[in-house]
Amino acid sequence: MDRPGNLRTARVFGKKIVLTVVALVLLATRVWAGAELCAHDALERQQCLASPAQRIVSLSPGATELLFSAGAGDRIVAVSAWSDYPPEAVTLPQVGDSNRLDLEAIVALQPDLVVAWIDGNSRAQLQKLSAIGINVFWLAPRRFEDIGLAVEQLALLTGQSELGRQRAADFRQGLSELQAEYADARPIRVFFQIWDQPLMTVNREELISKAITLCGGVNVFADLPRLVPRISAEAVVTANPDVIVTSGEDSSDLSGLARWQQFPELAAVKSENLFVEPPSLLARPTFRMLDGTRHLCETLERARATL
Amino acid sequence: MPLSSTLRPLLVLALISIVAMVISVSIGSSAMELGQTLAVLTGGGTELQQTLILDLRLPRTLSAFATGGLLAVAGALMQVLLRNPLADPYVLGLSGGAAVGALLAMLAGVAGFVVSGSAFAGAMLATLLVFGLAHGTGSWTPSRLLLTGVVMASGWGALITLILAMTPASRLPGMLYWLMGDLSHAGTPGPALIILVLVCLLVFPLGRSLNVLARGPMQAAALGVSVRPLEWLIYLLASILTATAVTMAGSVGFVGLVVPHMLRLVLGNDQRLILPACALAGGGLLVLADALARVVIAPEQLPVGVITALVGVPTFLYLLYRSR
Repeated sequence: MDRPGNLRTARVFGKKIVLTVVALVLLATRVWAGAELCAHDALERQQCLASPAQRIVSLSPGATELLFSAGAGDRIVAVSAWSDYPPEAVTLPQVGDSNRLDLEAIVALQPDLVVAWIDGNSRAQLQKLSAIGINVFWLAPRRFEDIGLAVEQLALLTGQSELGRQRAADFRQGLSELQAEYADARPIRVFFQIWDQPLMTVNREELISKAITLCGGVNVFADLPRLVPRISAEAVVTANPDVIVTSGEDSSDLSGLARWQQFPELAAVKSENLFVEPPSLLARPTFRMLDGTRHLCETLERARATL
Repeated sequence: MPLSSTLRPLLVLALISIVAMVISVSIGSSAMELGQTLAVLTGGGTELQQTLILDLRLPRTLSAFATGGLLAVAGALMQVLLRNPLADPYVLGLSGGAAVGALLAMLAGVAGFVVSGSAFAGAMLATLLVFGLAHGTGSWTPSRLLLTGVVMASGWGALITLILAMTPASRLPGMLYWLMGDLSHAGTPGPALIILVLVCLLVFPLGRSLNVLARGPMQAAALGVSVRPLEWLIYLLASILTATAVTMAGSVGFVGLVVPHMLRLVLGNDQRLILPACALAGGGLLVLADALARVVIAPEQLPVGVITALVGVPTFLYLLYRSR
C-alpha cells in the first residue's frame, strides 16, 4: 500500500530538486548575463559579448560607416573592400570583397566581433566563423529607423551605449525636422534612375524611395514588386514623371540622362528637371543618408518651382 | 529545284515575320489597341503614342529582327563550314572576344557607343586570332579550326569570369545583362539590316557550292569547287554577321544553333533555301522572343536570351522527336 506513497514522495522530492537546480541555473545565468553586452541582430539572434568588443572586423562598407558613427572606428582591425568612408577607413587593412571574403585572414586577426551585412555577405561562408566561436553580428538596415538602431546596437556591443543613443537621437532629430519641413510640400512625380544600362529604378521598399517620399515626392515605380526592378524606357515615358533623378560624381554631367532628351514631350524634359545627385550620400543606409535626403529634398524643391 | 518550291516557304516565313513585327510593335508595357498602333504607323495617333511606337518599339523590333537573322544565317554557315551539327555562331570564340571587349569598356566606366565599338573590336580580334592560329605551320582543316576556336572560346570565358570577379557589385547588372543577350541597348538597326541583306545576296549564288561542300571537301573538290577559298569566305562572312549581331545585342544564345536545324528538319538541306529562310525565321523568332521579354513581367524587363531558350528548346525537341 505504501509503495505508491513512497514513490509519490520520491517523485515530488525529485521534482523539487530539478526545480531548484533549474532556478539556480537560471539565477546564475541572469547574474552572469548581467555583465554581458547583448543585442538582437538582423537574423533575430541574441548576440552577447562578455566584454566590450576591442577587435572588430567589418565586412561591408556600410557596416564600416555605421561602426565609425557608433564611435567604434578605432576598434576596427580590418574592413572589406570599397570601405571608403570616413576617410580613415581607407587606410585600414582589407579582408577581401564583401562577397568573396578571405576567411583565413579574418580568423588570423582574432576578432572578438565581426559585423556582417545581410545583402552582401554569404551566410554559408560566415556560418564557418560562427562555428569556430567568432561572434558574427548581422546588420540589415532597410528603413530609416534601422540606421539609428544599428548604431545603437554597435555602440552597445562596444560598451558605449550612451554615445550611440546620443548620435542616433541626433540622426532621428535631423530626419524629423526634414520631414516636418517637407510635410506639406506639393507632391511631385519622381523617377529615380539607379542604373542606365540596363535601366533600373527602385520600388517603395528601397531607402531612396523612402527619401523621395519624405521630401514630398511620389516615386512613379513605387508599386513594382521587386526592390530594384529593371524597367523599359517605354514605362518611363508612359509614367511621364515631373522629375528624373540619377546619381553621379559630377552634378553637371547629364550624360547618364542623355537618352531622355530624345523625348521632348516628357514633363521632366520640357521643364528641364533632369538632376544628378551626389552618389555617395544615397548609396548606403548610414547617417550620410540624412545629408543625401536633404540634398534630394532641395533638388525636388528646385523642380517644384518650375512646375 | 523549281522556283515555286523555294519561294513558297520563303513567302510563308516572310509573312510570319511581318505578323511577328506587327505584334511586337503593338504590345508593350503601356497598353495600346491594334487599331491605334496601325493609326500611328500610318501617321496618326497622339504624340505619346507616336513616341512609344516610332521611337521605342519600331527601332527595337527591327534590331531584334536583324540580330536574329544575322545569328541564324551565321549559324547555318558555321554548320556547313565545320560540318558539325553542334556548331553555332559563337563556337569559335567570337562572342567571347566581343564580351571581353564590351566588359572591359564597362569596367572602365564608359557606356553607349564605346561599349559597342569595343565589342566589335573584340569580336574581330577573336576572329583574326583563330584565323591565324588555325593556320599554324601545318595544313588547315575544319577540325583544326574547330579545336582552335573552342580552346580560344574557353580562354575568353576565363577572362570574362576574371573581369566579373574584379568588378564592384554595383556595376555587375549591366555586365550580366550584356552577357545574357539583351536588346535594350541596341542602337539604330539600319547598318545591321543592310549587312544582313548584303550577305544574303552574296551567299545566294554560292548556294550550289555550299551544298556540295556540306557533303564533304573531297567531293566538293572532285566536283570542281575550290574548297579553301570558299571555306575562308564562309568563315569571314559568318564572323562579320556574328560580330554585327553581338555588337547590337550581346550574346543572345540559341537562335544561331537551333533555327538552322529547325529549318533543315522542315525544309531539307538545300543551302539556297536554308540561308534566306534562316534570315527570316531567325529574325521572326527573335522579334517574338523580345516582345515576350518586354511584356511578361511588364513594366519590368527580362533579357531576351532567356526567352529564346525557353521557347526554342521545346520546339526544337518536338521537331527532332517527330523527324524520321
